[in-house]
Amino acid sequence: MKNIYEVQNANKIKSAIVVVCFVVFVAVTVYVLSQALGYYWGYDVGGLGFVGFALIISGIISYGSYYFSDRIVLTISGAKEASRKEYFDFYTVAENLVIGSGLPKPKLYVINDSAPNAFATGRDPKHAVICATTGLLDKLTRTELEGVLAHELSHVRNYDIRLQSLVAVMVGLIALLGDWLLRASWFGGRRSKDDNNQMGAIILVLGIIFAILSPIIAQLIQLAISRRREFMADAGSVSLTRQPGGLISALEKISKDTEPLEAANKATAHLYIASPFKGKRGQGSVGWFSNLFNTHPPIEERIKALYDMSNEKPIKG
Amino acid sequence: MIIYVIIVLVVLAVWVISIYNFFVSSKTRIKASIQEIGNQLKRQSDLIPNLESSVKGYLSHEKGILQMLSDARKLISTGKDASAKIAELLPKLQVVVESNPELKGNTVVTNLMDELRDTADKVMYARRLLIDLTADFNVKRATFPSSIIAGLFKFEEMKGLETSDTGVHLSVSELETKSPKINL
Repeated sequence: MKNIYEVQNANKIKSAIVVVCFVVFVAVTVYVLSQALGYYWGYDVGGLGFVGFALIISGIISYGSYYFSDRIVLTISGAKEASRKEYFDFYTVAENLVIGSGLPKPKLYVINDSAPNAFATGRDPKHAVICATTGLLDKLTRTELEGVLAHELSHVRNYDIRLQSLVAVMVGLIALLGDWLLRASWFGGRRSKDDNNQMGAIILVLGIIFAILSPIIAQLIQLAISRRREFMADAGSVSLTRQPGGLISALEKISKDTEPLEAANKATAHLYIASPFKGKRGQGSVGWFSNLFNTHPPIEERIKALYDMSNEKPIKG
Repeated sequence: MIIYVIIVLVVLAVWVISIYNFFVSSKTRIKASIQEIGNQLKRQSDLIPNLESSVKGYLSHEKGILQMLSDARKLISTGKDASAKIAELLPKLQVVVESNPELKGNTVVTNLMDELRDTADKVMYARRLLIDLTADFNVKRATFPSSIIAGLFKFEEMKGLETSDTGVHLSVSELETKSPKINL
């Protein structure tokens, strides 16, 4: 058994490592791509002009979805506000967790969907929204609901929505730069003939390799960050409720349910308590490989991590 | 050279200020969280008597109905000629049943239990906030390098939720090691 503070610290460190890796990767990629672009278009400053341009485009696209995240998601999902009378457990559990965490009370919404799931969104704790499906509210007991809502509230407390938006801007930036470089290489460089040195050739080859590979790698790191933040939110949930059992049995119930969520789309997938896309997961190495492309860690791994925090033992069966 | 010294000093000053502000604002938040416990306790003491009386009122009304029903059943099961009494009882029963198409005692009690659990949770979470805030404060106060600032400005250790450090709650008796049985 590990104590919750150790788990939280370990999570923070691991999350920081992944984020630093991502930042370093973005910096290197942007440098290489901009050098190559600069070489093609004869722009000697190193092509930083393109980077600025790409950053602005990628930024505008993601900023809108970030700043209005609370409203956009709600209109997509067709959610309605939860009242204390109609959804007593949902409303009061959220109220209690807010007392325990010292955060402002998020807006609570319910989506009419029988697939059990929940998500949090909003750019900061003051604009936070927590949304649950009717399936979740029907199927879970109050203790289980407490675990799930504490998980969502931890996302809010950890500013995960902000982090994911920043990461999305960077992934968009790399995708744009890579795309431009590949397009430029179709037409051939303006300076590639008269400036025939070795450095130029190396930069070009490197640039094209990066242009092809880096968007995929950037997305993989983005997903790794997303999975790491899920573990963090699970630990945050336990530190708030001190009842790992509630979240464990909630996750078990959610994973047993095979219904996919209708309102989910790829843009919001990382916000949910469990991946809204249900499908058969592979075994062994295939499972490990497909896991790279998931927004959420496998539920079994999350449950195992939660059991490590509790003094109960998992029941084999 | 002098510019580096200034940069280091500015960074240091910013750090000292941020740590100092952490301690001061934590202290304020700890005080507020203590008030929050009082607030929740007050809510509880206002709420429970009201809930009790309204549920009692409803249940006694329903008890009357159930009493009448069981009286009628008893009369029939005795086998004696009780038609006169039944005739007297029937119209009353009809009125009662017609005005209460369904007996709601079950949901009323469930609602009461929900409210009771909720209010207990609220008080528990209010205490949790106090415990967490004081733990954060005391950890920062004791760990290096923020302990320097705490020492410099003489921040005392916060007490948090006061629990007596002697007594039966620190030991587990033989009886408590067994899972409690419920008799209904």
